Amino acid sequence: MARLADRLHSGVVTIPQDRLRNFSIIAHIDHGKSTLADRLLEVTHTVEGRQMMSQVLDSMDLEREKGITIKARAVRLEYLAKDGLVYGLNLIDTPGHVDFSYEVSRSLQACEGAILVVDAAQGIEAQTLANVHLALKEGLTIVPVINKIDLPSAQPEVVMEELENILAIPREEVILASAKEGIGIVDILEAVVARIPPPKGDPEAPLKALIFDSHYDAYKGVINYVRLAAGTLHAHDRIRLMASGAESEMLELGVFRPQLVPVQLLVAGEVGYAATGLKNVREAQVGDTLTSAVRPAAEALPGYQEAKSLVFAGLYPLSGEDYPLLRDALEKLHLNDASFTYEPESSVALGFGFRCGFLGLLHMEIVQERLEREFSLDLIASAPSVEYQVQLIHGPVITIDNPSLLPSSGTIEEIREPWVRLSIVTPSTYIGPLMELATNRRGAFEGMDYLDPQRVLLKFELPLAELIVDFYDQLKSRTAGYASMDYEETDYRAANLVKVDIMVNGEPVDALSLICHRDKAQSLGRQLTERLKILIPRQMFEIPIQAAIGSNVIARETVRAMRKNVLAKCYGGDISRKRKLLEKQKEGKQRMKRVGSVEIPQEAFLAILGMGEE
Amino acid sequence: MTAGALPAEPIEPIEPGAGPPRPDLGATGATDTTTSVSLAQSPDPVPAAPGAAQLAAPPVALYVHVPFCVSLCPYCDFVVYAGALARGPRSQVAPFVEALTAELRLRADALDERWGSARPALGSVYLGGGTPSLLAAGAVGGLLELIARRFGMAAGAEITLEANPGPDDRGDLAGFAAAGVNRVSFGVQSLDPTELRALGRRHEPHDVAAAVDLARGAGIASLNLDLLYDIPGGTHDRWAASLDAALALGPDHLSLYSLTLDDPDAEGLTGPGGDHLPATAGARRWRERARARQDDDRAADQYRLAVERLATAGFRGYEISNWARPGHESRHNLAYWQRLPYEAVGPGGHAFDGATRRWNAARLDAYQAALRPIGGARPRLPPGGAEPLDNATAAVEAVILGLRLDSGLSRQAALAGPLGPHLAWALDRGLLTETAGDRIVLTTDGRLLSNELFARLV
Repeated sequence: MARLADRLHSGVVTIPQDRLRNFSIIAHIDHGKSTLADRLLEVTHTVEGRQMMSQVLDSMDLEREKGITIKARAVRLEYLAKDGLVYGLNLIDTPGHVDFSYEVSRSLQACEGAILVVDAAQGIEAQTLANVHLALKEGLTIVPVINKIDLPSAQPEVVMEELENILAIPREEVILASAKEGIGIVDILEAVVARIPPPKGDPEAPLKALIFDSHYDAYKGVINYVRLAAGTLHAHDRIRLMASGAESEMLELGVFRPQLVPVQLLVAGEVGYAATGLKNVREAQVGDTLTSAVRPAAEALPGYQEAKSLVFAGLYPLSGEDYPLLRDALEKLHLNDASFTYEPESSVALGFGFRCGFLGLLHMEIVQERLEREFSLDLIASAPSVEYQVQLIHGPVITIDNPSLLPSSGTIEEIREPWVRLSIVTPSTYIGPLMELATNRRGAFEGMDYLDPQRVLLKFELPLAELIVDFYDQLKSRTAGYASMDYEETDYRAANLVKVDIMVNGEPVDALSLICHRDKAQSLGRQLTERLKILIPRQMFEIPIQAAIGSNVIARETVRAMRKNVLAKCYGGDISRKRKLLEKQKEGKQRMKRVGSVEIPQEAFLAILGMGEE
Repeated sequence: MTAGALPAEPIEPIEPGAGPPRPDLGATGATDTTTSVSLAQSPDPVPAAPGAAQLAAPPVALYVHVPFCVSLCPYCDFVVYAGALARGPRSQVAPFVEALTAELRLRADALDERWGSARPALGSVYLGGGTPSLLAAGAVGGLLELIARRFGMAAGAEITLEANPGPDDRGDLAGFAAAGVNRVSFGVQSLDPTELRALGRRHEPHDVAAAVDLARGAGIASLNLDLLYDIPGGTHDRWAASLDAALALGPDHLSLYSLTLDDPDAEGLTGPGGDHLPATAGARRWRERARARQDDDRAADQYRLAVERLATAGFRGYEISNWARPGHESRHNLAYWQRLPYEAVGPGGHAFDGATRRWNAARLDAYQAALRPIGGARPRLPPGGAEPLDNATAAVEAVILGLRLDSGLSRQAALAGPLGPHLAWALDRGLLTETAGDRIVLTTDGRLLSNELFARLV
């Protein structure tokens, strides 16, 4: 196999189109997707044992730390099937979290099939359902796999029943496997070869390659991940991007193994990368179609719908002079993750920054962490918000994604907020607590289906604003971690909403303003001031913290003045240590944002997220 | 005029007659004591202008670290080895004294080479620890004789030995006095039995009275007691009682330290060449629990109580943590705050030559291996590190250390210096105040919040 792989790398061997298979693995988080991907790579000798480490495809530090896949990734495998033929398999790994369904659907568009992985002990979860529906919408062939059958708590029979009842997947199609123990891996590969259709597309037609992902390489410029729909791409072709019109000489063409390995050509149906030589990230965006400059295609591929941002927050550099660095970082990261949006904004409290739109809270956290790690920035995020529609009296409808910009209540006819349809899969013992949680969050119960005698699918409608504030944490803590959830946006509905402003030491801090239901304003204001009292360290003077609706103060707390901050220990002649302890204090202060005369730590701007349930 | 080596204007000079009688150990190496006056440079640690040269000078003080205790206290992060290493058949104390002797010789050789043998004599020697009172009186006598011979000992030099008050480890106080020790510092920490147990101390309150009696009986004329406030679970009343009980024992000097549970591991001080030892797992747990039971507000009240009560009792708070009856200010500790040059020996010891801060690594094995090499090789100086100070750092140090003292800084010079705006801010906020002598000094508020100013300066 290794020799065959070498020949392919040299560009001599090209696998015919009818022996290509493009597929994804879809799964709920922790159901074993990454382990299965590792095993497929091992069995096909794509990664040799000595280079094998777990989560091979999750190369981002953040992914390894959190044990999740954030970015889709592609890898090319060669598999010698039982029919004696060698097949070229392109595996496109996808994220499992609800925030990243946009990323999943994009990857699925580059595939003809998907391996559906379900945990033998846990069964169908909310994300399983969501991903299967995405795959079916794209018309993909599904290869169902029940994983972790080696677990003592495995119940493959029950899970097969669930698959049959809920997703209409016949039990005879289901493959039983343990990626960890290497059970069923060959069966899965054979099913991929036998059941998933080969890609279509005329290799002789004008080139059309869909850019489904990209990243920026300091040496090679923009690297586009492409799926060829038609035509043939050679390593040194002159190419054109159909949407941007940019043209360039190709620098390099290749496949993912999973590192980038150059090849001479890719034909219709193949998945690979194209180093286009373009330096400007805007010239080769995800969703654009890559074609030949010499013999261009007549029309571009449909491309992708823009990802819809659901959660908005301001991102600000801790230090004002880093603003240009943040702008560059956002531009570069956006190339790799097109699903967030950003535009400049300014805040009285935080200075110049960007209003960013995210797919969800986890996405927000990840974008912030990637900006901080990959671009060495220190950032402050303001409290997350949804996008409101505001009907002005005798005026137009404006959209507001920054609570501090809400016009005064006298000018507002009506405020509308986004709602979602929420699906929760849970053991039936937790129905009560989850009903209570959803009701507390202004949710409306829509229905309940039993997946099996012990587990139910609950459906609610809920304002999105109620969901983004630690709903997921509450869900997990009320169900001992057993429940899972998924949601999709439905519509906008009018509600009695008010803006709550926060004043610290008498000065309004715009980045802490929030919009909430009038009935909840009082308790939210009280909780928020209490939380801020804990988060804002004592300073040399007393600091009042107030929450107000308009000019009406609804809650007040006080951070008492600091009374002691002195090195009064015996350090003997060790003056260096004293000095370093003082330097550390200074660094701590520099990591805080000065608003008026008060130093406010970064965490305080996200205080709303840490309050828990009243 | 040996007191000239202590240029602590406006602190009252410690007159040889006014203070405790100081034995003359024969200032053989140092004849020209007037030199030390000029070497002490300006008596006022005004911030040096940028570009001013940092002048190195020979030491006027010597610190000797004795890293042994009968048992470890969970809050302590000085370099200490305890248990079987400290006493009994496997005790490392005697071999350590040999190593210490070797280091003293090597340091003296280096000073001779750098400054000549006619350099100024020491104004103070401080045997700290650890528990130096675990040393035999003969060993202390031997060390002091060597020090006097090689470093020179000014007439009336202050010679301090730290001791524990308990009968186990207070040592031979009469013997120490006979060997030349004229100041004893007892690690009392508290005079409340519950607090002492909570701190893991081995002695009881009545041991302290006995130890003080023994020291006085031995002719020790200057006596310090160390006390801790902000003890976990402590109360204002217990602190007041401890303070009164300590005053009732008639000390000449009180060091009141806020129990501070630093984390030398997190500070990066405990590596193989570090000047601290890693905290034990037990100590880490203890500190974690203890921190949760400390309270800045209570500590501030305790400090204020001490300020009032000690003033009434005739003590002067001449430094943030130190009070003394007139004439009993610690000359040795003043050298630290006045940035006078001091030498140090023993693991974890810190020295300063006026331009560079230097320290010995904490590890006893490496210390012994360097100074008592196997196979007759020549002893060499132990591992450690050094940090040359640039002018800006030196200026900051001078202001911070100067303000720790009640003598403060010359107002005009300080405000005109590069740190002037910060000092003006502190005056404005009431952290500093001006004195009749045209100096600026920390107020009581300012002492309690001094880091708010100091952190702006570094």
